[in-house]
Amino acid sequence: MDHCEVLSKKVIEFKPPVYEQRYYFVKNLVNQHGHKKIADLGFGDATLLWMLKYHRCVQYLVGVDIAAKPFEWGGGRLSPGVGSYIIPRELDLTITLYRGSAVQKDSRLCGFDLITCIELIEHLDSEDLAKFPEVVFGYFSPGMVVISTPNSEFNPLFPASTFRDPDHRFEWNRKQFQMWALDVAKLYHYSVEFSGVGDPPAGAEHVGYCTQIGVFQKNRAKPTESSISEPEEHVYEVVSFLWEVYTTSYPSLQQSKYFRFTLSIEAVKSIDLMKSRFLRGPRRKEGDRVVPLGSCTPQDGLTEAQRAEIEQSPKPYSVGEKFYVPLERLLAYPKVNLLVAGSTEKLRTVLAEGLRLNGDQTAVQVELVDYRTQRLFDEHLVSPALES
Amino acid sequence: MSGRARVRARGLARSPSAAEAGRTCAPPSRSRSPSPSPTSVDTGNNEASSTSSFVGTSRMSQSCQDVVSSGDTGCTFTERGGKIRQDFKDLSVCTREKLAHVRDCKRGSSGVPVKLVANLFSLDLPLDWQLYQYHVAYVPDIESRRLRIALLYSHKALSNKAKAFDGAILFLSQKLEAKVTELSSETSRGNTVKMTITLTGELPASSPVCTQVFSIIFRKILKKLAMYQIGRNFYKPSEPVEIPQHKLSLWPGFAISVSQFESRLLFTADVSYKVLRNETVLEFMAGICQETGMSCFTQMCEKQLLGLVVLTRYNNKTYRIDDIDWSVKPTHTFRKKDGTEVTYVDYYKQQYDITLSDLNQPVLVSLLKSKRNDSTEARVAHLIPELCFLTGLTRQATTDFQLMKAVAGETRLSPMGRQQRLARLADDIQRNKDARFELESWGLHFGCQMSLTGRVLPSEKILMQDHVCQPGSAAEWSKDMRNCKILSAQSLNKWLIICSNRDEKVTEDFLHCLRRVGSSMGFNVDYPKIIKVQENPAAFLSALQRHVDPNVQLVMCILPSNQKSYYDSIKKYLSSVCPVPSQCALTRTLNKQGMVMSIATKIAMQMACKLGGELWAVEIPLKSLMVVGIDVCKDEFNKGMVVVGFVASINPGITRWFSRCILQRTTTDVADCLKVFMTGALNRWHRHNCSLPARVVVYRDGVGDGQLQTLLEYEVPQLLSSVTEASSNTSAKLSVIVVRKKCTPRFFTEMNRSVQNPPLGTVVDSEATRPEWQVLFEKYDFYLISQAAGQGTVTPTHYNVIYDDNGLKPDHMQRLTFKLCHLYYNWPGLISIPAPCQYAHKLTFLVAQNIHKEPSLELANSLFYL
Repeated sequence: MDHCEVLSKKVIEFKPPVYEQRYYFVKNLVNQHGHKKIADLGFGDATLLWMLKYHRCVQYLVGVDIAAKPFEWGGGRLSPGVGSYIIPRELDLTITLYRGSAVQKDSRLCGFDLITCIELIEHLDSEDLAKFPEVVFGYFSPGMVVISTPNSEFNPLFPASTFRDPDHRFEWNRKQFQMWALDVAKLYHYSVEFSGVGDPPAGAEHVGYCTQIGVFQKNRAKPTESSISEPEEHVYEVVSFLWEVYTTSYPSLQQSKYFRFTLSIEAVKSIDLMKSRFLRGPRRKEGDRVVPLGSCTPQDGLTEAQRAEIEQSPKPYSVGEKFYVPLERLLAYPKVNLLVAGSTEKLRTVLAEGLRLNGDQTAVQVELVDYRTQRLFDEHLVSPALES
Repeated sequence: MSGRARVRARGLARSPSAAEAGRTCAPPSRSRSPSPSPTSVDTGNNEASSTSSFVGTSRMSQSCQDVVSSGDTGCTFTERGGKIRQDFKDLSVCTREKLAHVRDCKRGSSGVPVKLVANLFSLDLPLDWQLYQYHVAYVPDIESRRLRIALLYSHKALSNKAKAFDGAILFLSQKLEAKVTELSSETSRGNTVKMTITLTGELPASSPVCTQVFSIIFRKILKKLAMYQIGRNFYKPSEPVEIPQHKLSLWPGFAISVSQFESRLLFTADVSYKVLRNETVLEFMAGICQETGMSCFTQMCEKQLLGLVVLTRYNNKTYRIDDIDWSVKPTHTFRKKDGTEVTYVDYYKQQYDITLSDLNQPVLVSLLKSKRNDSTEARVAHLIPELCFLTGLTRQATTDFQLMKAVAGETRLSPMGRQQRLARLADDIQRNKDARFELESWGLHFGCQMSLTGRVLPSEKILMQDHVCQPGSAAEWSKDMRNCKILSAQSLNKWLIICSNRDEKVTEDFLHCLRRVGSSMGFNVDYPKIIKVQENPAAFLSALQRHVDPNVQLVMCILPSNQKSYYDSIKKYLSSVCPVPSQCALTRTLNKQGMVMSIATKIAMQMACKLGGELWAVEIPLKSLMVVGIDVCKDEFNKGMVVVGFVASINPGITRWFSRCILQRTTTDVADCLKVFMTGALNRWHRHNCSLPARVVVYRDGVGDGQLQTLLEYEVPQLLSSVTEASSNTSAKLSVIVVRKKCTPRFFTEMNRSVQNPPLGTVVDSEATRPEWQVLFEKYDFYLISQAAGQGTVTPTHYNVIYDDNGLKPDHMQRLTFKLCHLYYNWPGLISIPAPCQYAHKLTFLVAQNIHKEPSLELANSLFYL
């Protein structure tokens, strides 16, 4: 799952396995709706949270589980990896895990765009199940709720005839689930659509999906937009029963230090390409083959149009051993342009902090020496490495 | 093999408990036959040949060269592929028991005592502390290590115990009630798994296995302090130092270890920086493409990328690039674990919300290490260049002066700065609740920073021709020797200067200076023949071919640019084809305003040395002593070759040198040619002194982790047999000392509430040195600080005397070593290692970087490589 392994040996009933299909079902919803704040009730081994953390739109991920333990697993996969520091996300992301029951009111779970309850309700005893709609739909009241649960009509296709898990309190057929769901939706002003994952095998289509899923969407009252943008603390009375076991924040371009560094790096990359082209200019004239487009060579991810635009911008130049790249030229590079939203002023301000600009602040100045050909001549005058 | 033995053997192969075997004083994986053949490669040493310490070219700080291992981030023993750590293996090589004169005491006495603090912290354990080692078997057998660990950890019987577990071997600080414990656990799918935990050993705290378990405990603790493990070290990503000009970020962190020192268990921490490159493999390839053009693009990519370790953007894992598959594109499909087919583009979009921008890029191929040794099926991972980052610095980048300066500027820490970081780390460990809990549960107590007493050796006088000078600072005495005559110099009568047409004026000006400073130092420089050529390497070379004949004493080339090809072709021609000493200088250097005199002085001295001259000397009380330096260096182009350099003094004053060098296959691993070199050096000595030296002291540099035993079994006998065969009656006494510049201990002196580098000449031969009370791992070693560090913290050099017939008192050995650090003619000051080692390094570096050929024997009598 972590990398594309070239292997296959397992024979399974579902391709991909049905648990993965459930997670992809959620991922697709997130892609479709661009949810910002998502909570997963009963997050288990945190696989769904881990999968959701890669979505660019997601900014706040919360997991609640009755058995959440600090430091045992999740933390590792949920915390930002080295790569997240090298290429920061565009938007902030905070991940928080709580230990506690999913049917406990806690104001920190209010105001979410999506709450997922994947294979959760069948683990609730009747008392908790009764509380569940009021807490999740009535109190948390998110924009969308996804509930998945086994479809008992599918069970005869499995060798064991009982519940799929010894901890299950019940397994509903489609009718039972839909009745429950429609009641809940009506009571709390949601609309619900039914779906599922895990296609039945040929000839058994009548049993429906292996997992049945209800997607509940909150009926939009008139001024919903404004209520979302309100800070939550003012809307909800602070109630906290859940115990925070883990929290982490990701570096992102919304944080100035990462923005500054990312922009500088992008600028330097473009400058280096220009510099190397500049240094190698004469040799190419001597008859070096020009790189054909469309072959397997990397093309810096630029389209023809973008190239043309770059060509039209003010050219880099050199004076003595210095090389100058006009800011206008840098702005023609799409990645740089995107970061500063086309603003020369912003580019200038940020680059001035980490790089050297020319006298009138219109170009970046770098050394023209090319490290690939530069040698250290300790033959003259470099003292033997004294420092370490 | 009985079933039980098989289980044991399997356990051994995959965990460091194999180090138990190390108690027998020989590394377990080696054959102990008395005469190993030169071609037999110690399989356990494969890693050593790739460690940076073996590569003599890497003179930069370790922090810049960190090799990132591709192990996963879990804190377990099999991380290193089940191999015993190499340095760990050296610990079990005993050298001192054979050295009678130091059996009772290996400490010196001369010099002024100095109070020092070290980057060492004491770790205290109860007296009766023991570690219990168990083997865990699963029924049914479970392949996933993660699952094995999860099942065991989640079991109630073990939940409150301090434990370390790698999937097979379990360590506990408290004994379980029964010798064999049966537990059962349930997987999430509801399958019951039986775990049988069998006691296999009870280890005292001094056991090497324990030190390893302690290291693991500390790794866990550092992770709890929000640090990331990369390779063996720990880094804090939240406080990066950024160098955008060079597309680098540096993460501050620590290299840590726990080991048994003289009398106790100590925790060592040294500040380290991780270099991360903000450049994807795809961007790197684009750079290559632009540089080389299409014709050799694929070869260049393979040449530069294969073997590098990359980090993926999305899953925090590192991979080694083993191949590049040019036929696979991101639009192609692959089969996922579950059997479904998906294109790379779709996969990364679905899984990680990443859109690939270049659909023509090839894929990188990495062979995955099989965690379970029994599976023979090789697994490979396909990686997209756009999503992989390069880690560490490439060899090319390390030769970039600007870049290295920028990195050094950021990473250099004053002793005070370093001490503050250490104090903060110690404080964090002691304050963090989880860390404290972890330590307590193992019965460990994290103590205070260690103080010890060193000695400052008396300073040395520098002997010039008609003057003895006592330098103001031993760090550099160029001012002190101004206007002094050098010991001896041959007059330079017949020589050439080759320069480009444009540089005639510069050359004339420089020549004027050169002759002036030459005459003031007693080095007569006549007017040369000046040859002007066009500004390209070929013109320089053809001028050499036309004008250089064996009567020419020296050729000087004034190079218009620092293009490598100038230097390479000149040095290659003049050191092997037509052996004549040569001197290169850049026009740019000669043009430096206000520095002309000092540059001319420096060059005059180098030229005098290249003609066989002697610059200065120190007093050597031992008469008839030959000192030898040995270093090895990997060839830059031919990765399968190493260059071995051997430099021996050939006069009692230790001012004249005999330098040899050979290229040999890496598989030979250790210097194979030492006997020939040693015999050559003894002959040369005999020719000059009409007798053989009474003593020979060999300083061996460039020893990789885990190679000590090989040195003892293989190199020392070579040297010894050469020395014995040289004379029919009494042969020279031999000592062999392993020199290591990269060692973790750091020492500071406390002054007015601040800490500073210890004074030059500080020796530490107690506390921070290796155990002497434990007979098996005895060492005769000391640390010496012989170099000045301007703004940074000085790294002491570690000397380990592995063979010693000379019976020199430790005090004399230390002082001799210190004296030798004064004799490197390329630098009028102290250096970090004995001069013969630095000469050997300089020679091997030149051959490995530029010549790639053995220099002519005719040059062996002069320091032609300075």
